[in-house]
Amino acid sequence: MILMNYIVSFFLLALGMYCIVTKYNLVKTVIGLSIMDYGVNLLIISIGFNPGGTAPIFTWGELTPSSFFVDPIPQALTLTSIVIGACVTAMSLALVMKLQESYGTLDTREIRRLRG
Amino acid sequence: MNWLNILSYRHFPIYAIMVLFLGAFLIVLFGRNRWARHILAFLSVASSLAFLIALVRPVMLGGEIIAYWMGGRVPAGGYAIGIALEVDALSLFFGLLIATAVFVACLYSFRYMEHDDNIPQYYTLFLMLAGGVLGLVLSGDLFNMFIMVEILTFAAVALTAFRNTANGALEAAFKYLVVGSIGSSCILAGTILLYAQVHTLNFAQLSALIPGGLNNATKVAFALLFVGFCTKAFLVPFHPLAADAHGAAPASISVLISGVLTKSGLYGIIRLVYFLFQSMGLGTIQFMLVFVGSVSMFVCVTMALAQHDFKRLLAFHSISQIGYVLSAAGLATALGISAGLYHAMNHTLFKGLLFLTAGAVLHKTGTTDLGKLGGLSKKMPHTTVLFLIGAASISGIPPFNGFASKWMIYQATYQKAVESGNIGFLLVTIIALITSVLTLASFVKVTQSVFFGRLPAAYENVTEVPFGMRFAMGIFAALCVVTGLFPDYVTRWLTEPAARAVFSVGQYINDMMGAGYAESVMGGLAPAQQTVSFVHVGVWSPVSWLLVLCIMLLAVTLAAVLGKYDRVSENAGEKVPGKYDLFFGGEESVYSQVGGGDLFWGFKHNWRHYFRFMYDLHSGVVNDYALWAVVALSLAVVFLQIVL
Repeated sequence: MILMNYIVSFFLLALGMYCIVTKYNLVKTVIGLSIMDYGVNLLIISIGFNPGGTAPIFTWGELTPSSFFVDPIPQALTLTSIVIGACVTAMSLALVMKLQESYGTLDTREIRRLRG
Repeated sequence: MNWLNILSYRHFPIYAIMVLFLGAFLIVLFGRNRWARHILAFLSVASSLAFLIALVRPVMLGGEIIAYWMGGRVPAGGYAIGIALEVDALSLFFGLLIATAVFVACLYSFRYMEHDDNIPQYYTLFLMLAGGVLGLVLSGDLFNMFIMVEILTFAAVALTAFRNTANGALEAAFKYLVVGSIGSSCILAGTILLYAQVHTLNFAQLSALIPGGLNNATKVAFALLFVGFCTKAFLVPFHPLAADAHGAAPASISVLISGVLTKSGLYGIIRLVYFLFQSMGLGTIQFMLVFVGSVSMFVCVTMALAQHDFKRLLAFHSISQIGYVLSAAGLATALGISAGLYHAMNHTLFKGLLFLTAGAVLHKTGTTDLGKLGGLSKKMPHTTVLFLIGAASISGIPPFNGFASKWMIYQATYQKAVESGNIGFLLVTIIALITSVLTLASFVKVTQSVFFGRLPAAYENVTEVPFGMRFAMGIFAALCVVTGLFPDYVTRWLTEPAARAVFSVGQYINDMMGAGYAESVMGGLAPAQQTVSFVHVGVWSPVSWLLVLCIMLLAVTLAAVLGKYDRVSENAGEKVPGKYDLFFGGEESVYSQVGGGDLFWGFKHNWRHYFRFMYDLHSGVVNDYALWAVVALSLAVVFLQIVL
């Protein structure tokens, strides 16, 4: 079950990279970046998961050595990572808009004034 | 708990980071007023620098490692549960570099940016970038490092596109964002793979647990983190992004991208190989670092030779110098580390100076195209002198600072070759020497085509830049001279403590996690503290080397004057025979103006296939650059699986 998560997360990472490398449309490049982010997020949340564990919310004295709960740290990390992913998408889409305005195209093969 | 505790120097690292972010926040609120934002920005960067300078005494000279646990959550039961800042001599060394560069760039921006729109946003992003980099080098937590990497990447991308009407600014920003995000995702994936193995994010605890428990997952994590930090340092194959970003960004931001962002990547690599995995004893890992460094060194200097744009040329040189630093740091000897860090410091100083002079030229003439500029020394004498100091420093001419550190790097690579009996390191010495010569060559070209030669009619009314900008450049120039004249003081006070910190992992772990932790967890693996001692050869007296240089220059001049008979007279319209032969200088021409690409036509003609190949390779298509990143990542994964 959890193995499937790992496989899918690395598959998503590879898919995102494939998308960035092979697609010539800027919007698709941005989608590729998002897919990579989702892959990493899935990886993080899978690492913290314990089958059968409860939510990691305890008040004073409730926590005993026999408590069995999912690891809370990766959940916090995932939230941070999701926020950062949203920032990447927002910022790159803003740049894509400006690029469309000034170059009149979204094809990466034509947006290459800087080279050599 | 005494309230005076908050003035203890142990709190200074967090203050140094917070004042920058606080300044960014306050400028959003009050930045509409010109004086308010200037005062706020100045106070932020100046107090950040002051806090770090106050740490020199305990950390650099006293050898203390400051472990600062946020909210006082110290490790419990052998587990680091809090978020930590840690400042050892290595962190502080990079921190000081960053704070100095940020301070000078901020002074420069006051006059440089005054004609732009949205200036409050500029300062906000500027301080965010500075805070992100400083947070990265002072952080003791791997995930915190990732957050800081993201903050600085965003700020840098936004600032690259800041003058979005400039040629290629948007394009450069987008390319940087795409490849930079791949790098950031690599760092995050590497971090989380390490967390899955040892369930901690604290640097000291990771350093204690990982070297003994290497498995396939940690090896992949090593590759991911290494490639991620290489992206941040713009090493080959990520160098085209640096060139694009530098060319498009305002000059004060180019200083930060080249002097500060690349250092954060280098810092990450040094922490990764010397602390987290402690794998520098392996010849193969040394090979990996030295190889990447040497390739960056050589490829980027040849790319720089072919450039026609002032700032793009400087950008390629910047990565070439980073190659020096990585090669020296990859030697895993005390002299190598010390030389590499010395060169990293010098790189920040002279490259900052050069970018600021390029900015001054852009400010007054509106272009950085080498073919259009010329003869500016008559109009901007101070800028010219400052540029010459920077050019002499980067080319390694005594008595400026580039000479001292490059000399140490030659010595370090040569000594390594002698000690290990490996002829490959000798090759690195040779590549470093050739690169230095090519660097000098391309700066001769820049000097000739920007500051000397004929003044184009369009720039008759150009004047010297305002005092505020010259003052900022003067600080860098003065530091270049001082660090070049007194190499023994620099090594004793700055680079040797940092090099010692690199070799005392055990102490680093114990100071963070409590005494005895390293020995109990790592057992026999705990590395003994290596003594850092080495002898400089010849570097002691840069002045005598200057004398030697002057005598040689005199001899060459004499030979050139006496050897008039082989000069070729070039008349307008008449084709000169032998234009494409190798030449040694001395042609008389009717135009003293030499175009940006023309000074080394013989050399470039003979190497035309190579230059053509490189030009085609750097196609400017973002897919290609992303492909290089993916290929580099796969190579790193495979290589590390095999050798570790």
